[in-house]
Amino acid sequence: MISFGEVAKHGRGWLPVIGVNALIGSAVTLALPTVLGRSVDSIVAGTGYTRWLVVAAALIGLGIAASIVDAFAGAACVAETTAWLRHRLVRHVVRGGPGGTRDFETGDLVTRVSANATDAAQAGPALVTAIAAIAPPLGSLVLLAVIDPWLAAAFFGGVLLVILVLWTFAKRTADVSLAYQETQGRIAALLSESLTGIRTITAAGTTEREERRILGLLPELHRNGVVTWRILARSGAQAAVVGPLVLVAVLAVGGLQLVAGNITAGELFAASQYAVLGAGLGNLTGVLGELARAKAGVQRSAEVIAVEPVAHGTLTLPAGPGQLTFDGVSVVADGNVLLDNVNLDLPGGITIAVVGPSGAGKSVLAAVAARLRDPSTGQVSLDGVPLQAVSRRALRSAVGCAFERPQLVGRTVGEAIDPHAVSPIRTLAAARATHAHDFVSRLPDGYFTSLRKAPMSGGERQRLGLARAWSAGRLLVLDDATSSLDTATERQISRTLTEDRHHRTRLIVTHRPATAARADLVLWLDHGQVQAIAPHADLWHNTSYRAVFG
Amino acid sequence: MRRELSYGAAALRKRASVKLIGWSVPEILPTAVYGIAVARATDSFLDGHAWRGIAWLGGLVATACLGAAGARQVYGRLGELVEPLRDDLVRRVVGGALRSGDDGAVARLNRQVEIVRDTFAGLVLVLRSFAVTLFGVLTGLLSLAPLVAAFVVPPFLLGFVLSLAVLGMAADRVRASLTADEELAASAGMVFGGVRDISAAGTEEYAEWLAGQPIEAHAAAERALAKVSALRTLCFAVGGWLPLLILLAAGPWLIGRGVSTGTLLGGLTYVLIGLQPALNTVMNALGDSGLRYVITLGRILDTSTPAEESRPVAELNGYQVRLRGLTFAYGPKAEPVLDKLDLTIPEGEHLAVVGPSGIGKSTLAGLVCGMLMPTGGQILLGGAAPTEVATERLAGTRVLIPQEAYVFTGTARDNLRYLLPDATDHQLELAVKTVGADQLVERIGGLDAEVRPSALSAGEKQLIALVRAYLSPAPLVVLDEATCFLDPEAERQAEEAFARRPGTLIVIAHRISSALRAKRILVLDGNQATLGSHAGLMRTSRLYRDLHGSWT
Repeated sequence: MISFGEVAKHGRGWLPVIGVNALIGSAVTLALPTVLGRSVDSIVAGTGYTRWLVVAAALIGLGIAASIVDAFAGAACVAETTAWLRHRLVRHVVRGGPGGTRDFETGDLVTRVSANATDAAQAGPALVTAIAAIAPPLGSLVLLAVIDPWLAAAFFGGVLLVILVLWTFAKRTADVSLAYQETQGRIAALLSESLTGIRTITAAGTTEREERRILGLLPELHRNGVVTWRILARSGAQAAVVGPLVLVAVLAVGGLQLVAGNITAGELFAASQYAVLGAGLGNLTGVLGELARAKAGVQRSAEVIAVEPVAHGTLTLPAGPGQLTFDGVSVVADGNVLLDNVNLDLPGGITIAVVGPSGAGKSVLAAVAARLRDPSTGQVSLDGVPLQAVSRRALRSAVGCAFERPQLVGRTVGEAIDPHAVSPIRTLAAARATHAHDFVSRLPDGYFTSLRKAPMSGGERQRLGLARAWSAGRLLVLDDATSSLDTATERQISRTLTEDRHHRTRLIVTHRPATAARADLVLWLDHGQVQAIAPHADLWHNTSYRAVFG
Repeated sequence: MRRELSYGAAALRKRASVKLIGWSVPEILPTAVYGIAVARATDSFLDGHAWRGIAWLGGLVATACLGAAGARQVYGRLGELVEPLRDDLVRRVVGGALRSGDDGAVARLNRQVEIVRDTFAGLVLVLRSFAVTLFGVLTGLLSLAPLVAAFVVPPFLLGFVLSLAVLGMAADRVRASLTADEELAASAGMVFGGVRDISAAGTEEYAEWLAGQPIEAHAAAERALAKVSALRTLCFAVGGWLPLLILLAAGPWLIGRGVSTGTLLGGLTYVLIGLQPALNTVMNALGDSGLRYVITLGRILDTSTPAEESRPVAELNGYQVRLRGLTFAYGPKAEPVLDKLDLTIPEGEHLAVVGPSGIGKSTLAGLVCGMLMPTGGQILLGGAAPTEVATERLAGTRVLIPQEAYVFTGTARDNLRYLLPDATDHQLELAVKTVGADQLVERIGGLDAEVRPSALSAGEKQLIALVRAYLSPAPLVVLDEATCFLDPEAERQAEEAFARRPGTLIVIAHRISSALRAKRILVLDGNQATLGSHAGLMRTSRLYRDLHGSWT
C-alpha cells in the first residue's frame, strides 16, 4: 500500500529547499509591510528615509531570490516524484503477474499511471506550500497585536471564518474529483474496448453508434464537472466576502487609533497590509484544491500498488529431462472448480497433447504448468522442484509459453521476439523454427519494423508468440498457440515441435486430432478432471473422445 | 496557434461570456476602489474626521458584497463555458479515434482533454481579471494622482513584455513533455495489456524499461521547464517590485510636489494589491496554461479532425462480386499481395478461399467489403466499386466478420442485435440456436445479462460475432477466419447455419473442412490464384493437394 504521507515524503531532497524558501518568502511578506510603513513615515517626516529605502530594497531582493529557487524546486520535485510513482505503478502491474491486475481494465490502468500519478505527485509540495502559506496570516496576527491589540482581535475573528470556509471546500472537492476521475476512466475504458473491434465497426458502418455508446457517459461527466464549478463558485464567493470584511474591520479600528494618536499613518498602512495577508488565506483554496486532487490521485495509485508481486523462490533447477508433476492440483475461482484434484506425472522430453471440450480447464492447466497461475491447492513440480520454489530467472529460462492470442510487447518486431537480443542469431533461429521469418522478412524494416506500425494477422502474431517462447530450455507450453495458422504452416511447425532437437517437454493444448495423433500422450480433460492419459490411438475408439474433435 | 486561439474564441461566443464579463465588473470593483478608499480614509483619519473615514470603509464593504456576488456568478458562468468545450473535445477525440483506429486517443481522452479544460478555464479567468484590474487600477491611479501613475505603469509594462519573451523559450519544452506523456500512454498500454505474456517470457525488466523510458523523458522535460519558471519569476521582479521601489525612492520628491500621504499610500496599495497579483497570475497563466492550452489543443485537433470521406454515392444492383485484374499492394515499394486477379462470385454462391497465412486472403476480404482501395484493376459489388457506396447501403449489402471478434460491455441482447437493432427476441433466440451459441447465452445468463468482454474466451466472442452477422440484413457474408477459435464441431454448426442462410457466403477458410463445405474453392498462392471444385483442385492444384494433405 501507499499513503499520502509516503508520496509526500518522496520529495525528500527538494522539500527542505521548498520549505526553507517558502519560509523566507513568508518572512519577507511579513516584514515588508512594517518596513514599507516605516519608509512612508520617514518620507513624511523627511528624515532617515534612505536607510529604510535600502532595507526595503534588500528585503524585496531576498524575497525575489527565494521565489526563484522555489519556482525551480517545486517543479523539479513534482517531476521527480511523478517519475518515481510511475515507475512504482508500472512495477506493481508488471510484477503482479496475470492475476494481479485482472480486475482492472487496461485503459483504466493507463489513466492511473498517466494522469492520476501526476496529481498524486503534488502531495509533497502542496503540503509544504500549504503549511508555509499558513505562516504569513499567523505571523500577521502577532505583528498586528504588536502594533495594537485591538487590531489583532478584529483580525482573529475574520481568520476563523476563513478557515471554516476552506475546510468545507477541501472535503467536498475530494469526493467530486474522485467521481469525475472515475467517469473519465470509464469513458476511456469504453473507447479502448471499441478500438479492439475497429475492423468490425468500420465494416458495419456503426462508428456513430459506437460514438453514441461511449459518449453516453458524457452527460454524467458534464454533471460531475458542473458540480466542481458550483463548489468553486460558492467558496469563491464566501472568500470574496470574508476577506475584505476582516480587512475593513482592521482598518476601521486602526483609523480610530490613528485619530486617537495611538499609531502613525505608516503603522495603519502596515496594519492594512497584514489584514490583507490574513485575508490572503483565501488564496489557499488553490493549494487546498491541489491537495484534494493529490489525495484522490494517491488513492487511485494506492489501489494499484496494493497488488502484491508474484513471489518466486530462489532455487535453480537441477539437471533433468523436464519431468512435469501435478500433485493434487485444484484451481477454484469465484466458486467455480476449474481444475479438480489433478494428479499427473509426465515423463520429460515427450509431447503431451491436452484436449477436451471448451471450458474443460485446458488453458487453466496450461497456465498452472507454466506458473502463470498458482493452484488453489496442490503443487506443480518440474524435475522434482516445486515451481513456486524456483527463481524467476531459472523458471522463465526453463519454461516457455505461447498463447492463442499473444500480446506482443516491444518497440520492434525483433524485440517482441527477444527484447534482450544478445545474439540476433538466436532470434533468427527462433523465428525460422516457427516460420515467423517468412513474413517478418517481408516487412519494410524486417526485424526492426516498429510493432505499432506493423498490423498483423492472428496467425502472424501467433508465430511471433511461438518464436518468443522458443528459447525455453526444458518445457514448452502451447495453449492453442497455432490455432490461427494455416494448416500448411501449422504442419511444418508441428513437425519441428515433434522432432524437437532440444528434447524439451511439450505440453500442447489443441483442438486438432492430427496434433493429438502426433503427440506421445494425450491428456483428456473434462470439467476440470482428467478423463484419461493415453496415446491418441488408444483413445480413438472411444466415441466420447472422438466427440471432442467434432 | 491561430487555429487553437480561434477554437477557444469560438467557445467564448456565447451568452455565458457576456454574463461572465458583466459579472467581472462587480467582482473586480473592490480591487479598483481599494486604493482610493484607503487613501481617502487615511487622510480623513489624519485630519481627525473619524466618521468620514469609517464611511469610506463602509463603501468598501458594500463593494466587497457586490464582488462576492460577482465572484459566484463568474465561476458559475465559467463552468457554462468550459464544460461544453470539454464535452466537444471528448466528442472529437472519441470520434477521431473511432475513425482512425488510433489507440493513442485513450491518452488524449484522459490527460489532454483535462489539460485543455483546466487551462482554458484558467486563461479565461485570468485574462479577464487582468484586463479588468488593469483598467480599474489605471482609473483609480489617474483619479488619485496622474504623477504617481507615471512612475508605476512603465516598469510594470516592461516586466509584462519581458515575460512574454520568455514564453517562446518554454514552448519546445512543453511540447517535449506532452510527447513523452503520449508515448507513456502508448507503451504503458502495450505493457499493461501484455502482463500475462511478459510474465510468461520472464521479460519483466524489459517491460519496466519500456514503460520507464517515456517516464524519464517526461521528467527531463519537466525539469527543463522548472528552469523556465525560475526565469519567469525574474520577470515578475521587474514588473511587480520595480514600480514599488521607484515609488518609494521618488516619495520625498512627490511629497514635495504636494502629493498627500494618503495618496502615496494609495499608490503603494494599488501596486501591492492590484498590479502585483494581476501580473503574477497573468504571467503564470500565459507561461504555463497558455502554452499547454495551445500545444495540447493543437494535438487534439490534429488527430481528431475526421477526414470527411465524402463517398460518391454509387447505386448497388444486387450483390454479385466481380474482380477484373484486381491488384493490391500495401505500399508503393512492396510486392503486390494480389496480382491481376479475375473472378466472378454470382449471387447465392458459397465460396471458400484457401492458402497459406499472409498470402492475402484477408486483403481480398477487405477489398470485397470496400475497406481497402485497389491499387490496380477493378472490383465491383452489385455493379459498383464498394468504396464508392454509401456506408449504410454497403452495410446493408455485405457483412464482414474479422478474426478478432468485437464484443462490447453491454447486454447480450445489445451485442447480438448490433447489426439488426430492431431484432425481436424471437429472432435473436432463433439465430442463437441456429449458429450454436445457445449454451453460451445460457451461461452468460440470458439476453438481459451484462457481457464483459474480458470474461469471454476468444471462441465465445466469435460465437457472439457470428450470431450478430447471421442476423444482419446483408445478403453477402464474408467470414474472415471468423471461426478460428471455435472447436471444429462448433465451427461446422456455425458455417452450416450460414450456408443455409439465403445469399452469398465467402469463407476465408481456416480449416480444410470449411473448404470441403463450399461449392467452389479459390486457392491463393503468392500472386497466383486457382478456382475450382474440391475434386477438380485435387487434380489440378499442387498447393491445394499440399494444403489438403496436411490439413486433416
